[in-house]
Amino acid sequence: MYDRHVHRRTILKGMGAITIGLPFLEEMGTPQVHAAESNKTVPVRAFNVFFGLGIPAPLQQEGFDGVLEPLKPLSKKLLIMRGVDHVRADEKGSNAHYDGAAAAFTAEPPDGEAKAGGGSIDQMIRHAAYPKGLPAGMVPTLVGGTFFRRSRVGRYVHSYNPDGTVAATMQEKPRDIFDRVFGSLAPTDGSPDARRERLKRSVLDTVVDQYRFYTGENSPLGHTSRTRIAEHLERIREYEQRAFAMNNKVEGAPPIPPDSKLPHGGTADPGGEGIDITLEELTSEWRLMADLYALAIQTDRTRFGSLTFLAAGERIRLTGNYEYNGRKVFEFNDKAQRRKSGSAGCSHEWWHEFRENKKNEELRAHAHMKMREVAYFLSRLDGKDSIDANGKTILENSLITISTESGDGRHNDIKRELSGIFHACTGAGGRFKTGQILDVNAEGLDVYNTMLSAMNVPKHLGPEKRTPAKIDSIRA
Amino acid sequence: MNMYRFGRLLLGFLCVITGVPNGNADDSLLVRYDFRDRQGNTVHDRSGIGQPLDLTIDSPNNVRWSDGHLTITKPTHIVSKQPATKIIDAVNQSNALTVETWIKPANTLQEGPARIVSISSDPSQRNFTLGQEKNLYDVRLRSSRTSTNGIPSTSTPAKSLTPELTHVVFTRDARGQARVFINGRQTANRNVGGDLRNWDRGHHLILANERSKDRPWLGEFHAVSIYSRAISANEVLQKFRAGSHAEPGTSSPLTMAKKTGHFEKHIAPLFAEHCLECHDSAIHEGGLDLSKKAAAFAGGDRGKVITPGNAKDSELWQLVAKDKMPHDRAPLSDDEKNHLRKWLDEGAEWTIETIDPVVYKNEGHAGDVWIQRLTLPEYIATVKAAVDVDISREAEQLLPPDLRADGFRNTAYNLGIDLKHIEAYSKLAEIIVDRMDLLKFSSQFSKSRKLSTDDTMRDHVAKMGKWLFRGPLSSDEVNQFSGIATTVASAGGDFEEAIRYIVQAMLQSPRFVYRIEHQRGDGNRRLLDGYELASRMSYIVWGAPPDRELLDAADNGRLSSREQIESQLARMLKDPRTIERSEQFVIEWLNLDRLENLRPHEDRFPEWTSQLADDMRAESIAYFREIAWEQNRPLSDLLNAQVTFATPALAEFYNLKPQGDGLQRYDLSRVPHRGGLLTQGSVLTIGGDEASMVARGLFVLHDLLRGTINAPPPCVNTTPPPTKSGLTQRLIAEQRIGDSRCGVCHIRFEPLAFGLEQFDGIGAWHERDEHGNPLRSDGTILFPGTAKPIAYKSSAQLMDQLAKSDRVKESLAWKVTQFALGRPLIAADASYLAEIHQQSQKNGGTYASLISAIVMSDLVQTTRTQSEALSQKE
Repeated sequence: MYDRHVHRRTILKGMGAITIGLPFLEEMGTPQVHAAESNKTVPVRAFNVFFGLGIPAPLQQEGFDGVLEPLKPLSKKLLIMRGVDHVRADEKGSNAHYDGAAAAFTAEPPDGEAKAGGGSIDQMIRHAAYPKGLPAGMVPTLVGGTFFRRSRVGRYVHSYNPDGTVAATMQEKPRDIFDRVFGSLAPTDGSPDARRERLKRSVLDTVVDQYRFYTGENSPLGHTSRTRIAEHLERIREYEQRAFAMNNKVEGAPPIPPDSKLPHGGTADPGGEGIDITLEELTSEWRLMADLYALAIQTDRTRFGSLTFLAAGERIRLTGNYEYNGRKVFEFNDKAQRRKSGSAGCSHEWWHEFRENKKNEELRAHAHMKMREVAYFLSRLDGKDSIDANGKTILENSLITISTESGDGRHNDIKRELSGIFHACTGAGGRFKTGQILDVNAEGLDVYNTMLSAMNVPKHLGPEKRTPAKIDSIRA
Repeated sequence: MNMYRFGRLLLGFLCVITGVPNGNADDSLLVRYDFRDRQGNTVHDRSGIGQPLDLTIDSPNNVRWSDGHLTITKPTHIVSKQPATKIIDAVNQSNALTVETWIKPANTLQEGPARIVSISSDPSQRNFTLGQEKNLYDVRLRSSRTSTNGIPSTSTPAKSLTPELTHVVFTRDARGQARVFINGRQTANRNVGGDLRNWDRGHHLILANERSKDRPWLGEFHAVSIYSRAISANEVLQKFRAGSHAEPGTSSPLTMAKKTGHFEKHIAPLFAEHCLECHDSAIHEGGLDLSKKAAAFAGGDRGKVITPGNAKDSELWQLVAKDKMPHDRAPLSDDEKNHLRKWLDEGAEWTIETIDPVVYKNEGHAGDVWIQRLTLPEYIATVKAAVDVDISREAEQLLPPDLRADGFRNTAYNLGIDLKHIEAYSKLAEIIVDRMDLLKFSSQFSKSRKLSTDDTMRDHVAKMGKWLFRGPLSSDEVNQFSGIATTVASAGGDFEEAIRYIVQAMLQSPRFVYRIEHQRGDGNRRLLDGYELASRMSYIVWGAPPDRELLDAADNGRLSSREQIESQLARMLKDPRTIERSEQFVIEWLNLDRLENLRPHEDRFPEWTSQLADDMRAESIAYFREIAWEQNRPLSDLLNAQVTFATPALAEFYNLKPQGDGLQRYDLSRVPHRGGLLTQGSVLTIGGDEASMVARGLFVLHDLLRGTINAPPPCVNTTPPPTKSGLTQRLIAEQRIGDSRCGVCHIRFEPLAFGLEQFDGIGAWHERDEHGNPLRSDGTILFPGTAKPIAYKSSAQLMDQLAKSDRVKESLAWKVTQFALGRPLIAADASYLAEIHQQSQKNGGTYASLISAIVMSDLVQTTRTQSEALSQKE
């Protein structure tokens, strides 16, 4: 397991010594007008946390006695909002998973296949709080996630610029997020373009995957040829080392995370057919992502962004013993329990089969597990290593919004599907109520605009001419 | 249709050489159920291959065991305990299969189709199913061109199914031809195109039902066998005649083949390497000739040396055992001695008439099947054909040169990979996509410009990849490359940018950079699938990838019959790229690139310039084009055609009257000493400044006569003395030939260069050498395998002798074949080469006829496979 217990101060000290020397290229163009911020100032931060497939509205009614149980230890610092709808996000011709996911944190329908209908909460706040850019050397927006459904961007990216374009490149492996936050991708051609380097990296990753296949057990090649391809692969590794070497690792930074063992890129989503994965594999990688993301916040390397735990409409066939607090909750084995292979054997199907008058045992277990993992990330920002200058934790001081794509997964009533979508948020330095489960019963657009208003964002989401409704019930 | 016959493969001879461990009777057998279990709820896999794939009977009360068969009386479900991966993986590699059953249907009413043998998971997901649809058999086979349910299916005619014990065999070969045989007779066939590499590895093998238990079949099972190849119609008939409980290896030609071959595999190579240097027809020291069967058994001056059945009494063994032979050479290894002793003890069976040492020269490579990386010219041609970008300048700058090995630059084992290649492929891919009109390129495959992998991107990637990779992508590959689109999208990129990065990745993929074929198997040869064949054909004929028409032919199963392949070949031969490729052969065969670095001593050869070197190179290429293509003459005419091409400078150098600017054609009918490749400066410079008879003679021996010569013995001074007044190169050579230690070999090749004595180190003609010694052109040729040298009086006579020699013609066939295959030829290839040579000569002996014979031969139509067992032993 990755050693995440690196003292925050150690890193901050190291950062002070080295930040200027770090070629964090994406932000080099940012004006360095924000000189040293007061040590006692708590920075404005906003993050969106997304989890796939949602929690059917009726289950939300059970509060912390049901699938929300894992959020209970953090309940005093969270506001759980029920009855939030994104019905306006329904787009003809695209499925509700995608519509709902695109609306999460933007409250608007998608604008085409790779664009949101508007900015996301975190980015609206970012642009308002730092109109001239973030302090130099900081990662302006950090987008990461552990997910396996990638047919459309909206399913897994949850930070969008006000014009609806993605706010930052997705980091989908622990190593990617590590490189982005604590190291630098050293371009070989002097290009000051971290995005381009990331894409080149993905090209190389695909090429490596192919060479790996042709050297592996299922390769069609004979022994002799496999040896030749293995040489080729070795040379690519050498090239990779040189082209993408970690040149300027931050002093005192955590150790480089191990290589991911999960499928990424195209192999993570074989045409919607789903992948087999164990609970251990899933949570190990997610937690590593969560640790690194949290560390990036703790070390003030980033203040805005989003983190995804399983995409909208995620398709996995999960196996493994699921325990919570020493209690066995469920034995995951989607394929066997569904007695089907391929996409029909995926956990996604439990959502399609949700019925209020039934036990929904499998769906509950999956949703419970998701809440456990969301809580894991949130709790990383609520510990001793996350105390801000005002004595409160990052979790308390920041606006962290948690949501998903639907309030019902049955796919037979779009209005019902896009209503009652689970939402939660943190107090954002006392701006919002916490310690409550609130039946907001309002349109997401109004809820989000109320949140933005509380965060001093002058602009609002949604159509210009629309008269906003303030949802005062969520304000502290 | 006159289907191309795989049966002519001469597998018998080949399999002897492959040396596959003799485990099972038929190495392609995967599972066999003979239903002799008599009781219990397990049907045992008795193939003896790998992990047994035993089957469990779900409802033992619904079946009845009898002697040698199992009757399904009520619906049940007989399913493998684990997924049928041993079948699926093997079929994945071979792209072919046979399912052989002996069954007795309970009635002619069952339908669904009722599942008899199935590899599937539910009523709509399968790899394979043999089913009963009332009174006919129906076979569903999943391929990249059928549905996941294996539809469209192959059905036998109505009433072809009867409730009697029946032999039902389904075969599907690598080119997609599917056949159903009932009681030995073919009753259905159709082309099930695409490949079988998309088979689901999770499916189980099931008898008498579907996995979901809703397609039961009732009747008797007497035998079920599955093989990883399509067995021939003749084998099916023999299996039918052998009955339901014959051993699975019955009728397999592979089995038969493996029982012979000790002499070819062990003894002939041993004699070739250790004995024939002194004891062949030409030298036959001590009167002993071990190259021919009759002569070897006749013995030498001291009598017989071989006593069949008794090594101890054989003088051959006695001398070898005591390391007295070979004389002055390294003794035989213990392993070689053991083979020799065993062969003598077991009767000294001698199965070939003559041992030609060159056949065994490359036995070190015999077990290797090397993947072929695109050479530099192939890479350039492939990029041009695939994306219409001329990358030649940058590729020549960035990619390391391919080095010559065994006479050619495309020798697969030497096409290694360096860091520079990786850097170059990456950089070149960037340059290529920068120059492409990406939207125009991608619109050839789909009009969609959507990034969504759910909508069109996967299909787009699959089509684009099939073109760039010269064959279909696996679903994993589609996933991998589609993933780039989603990554680009998540970085805010658009469709064009996604295509840019996908193409960039594809250009660096092993599927683009290498010519990938399925090589794993049982160690025997297998028929190539359509895509593999299309690639081989295009790279052999053009040095470039298949064009649309050829790829379409592969795609639609139109590369199955001999006529179809010949028709494509005839079309391809008319393409100008065929000539360019043939010129590449000549450049590499004659090592014409050598001229660029030639620096003769300027005091001795003041007329030499780099331009003259370029002119000589151009001369040989133009000469080849003239003979091989313009005049369409036999390739052997390259040795004596009285014509050449020269620039004014080269013409002057040759003492010809210049006829105009640039490269001009010159008639040489009145210049008898010059005419033919060996009289051109490009070849004559092989001898260096001293016009070495050794170097020139060895070139003729190796490259025209296919002779072999061992390295000089250790401690021999190989530095030739300089010529002087009264001492010519010829006299120095004759001294070497007269030396007892050197002559045994030098007699074989130096006289071949005597005819070239009057050409100096850079190819100028002289009556006297620099010391005033008179020069001559007479000499002798000792053709390998013959005993008596043939005299010639002039260089022109030498050229004529070579041009009419069958050995030379055959050697040219070997050379072109080696270049076509990209590997040294081995003993196992010899019989194919004989057929290629014969076929080519029958059609005029031209380059085109030779290339056609090569492409149509089993050396190209089939491929050697490498067995994992053999690999692991290595």
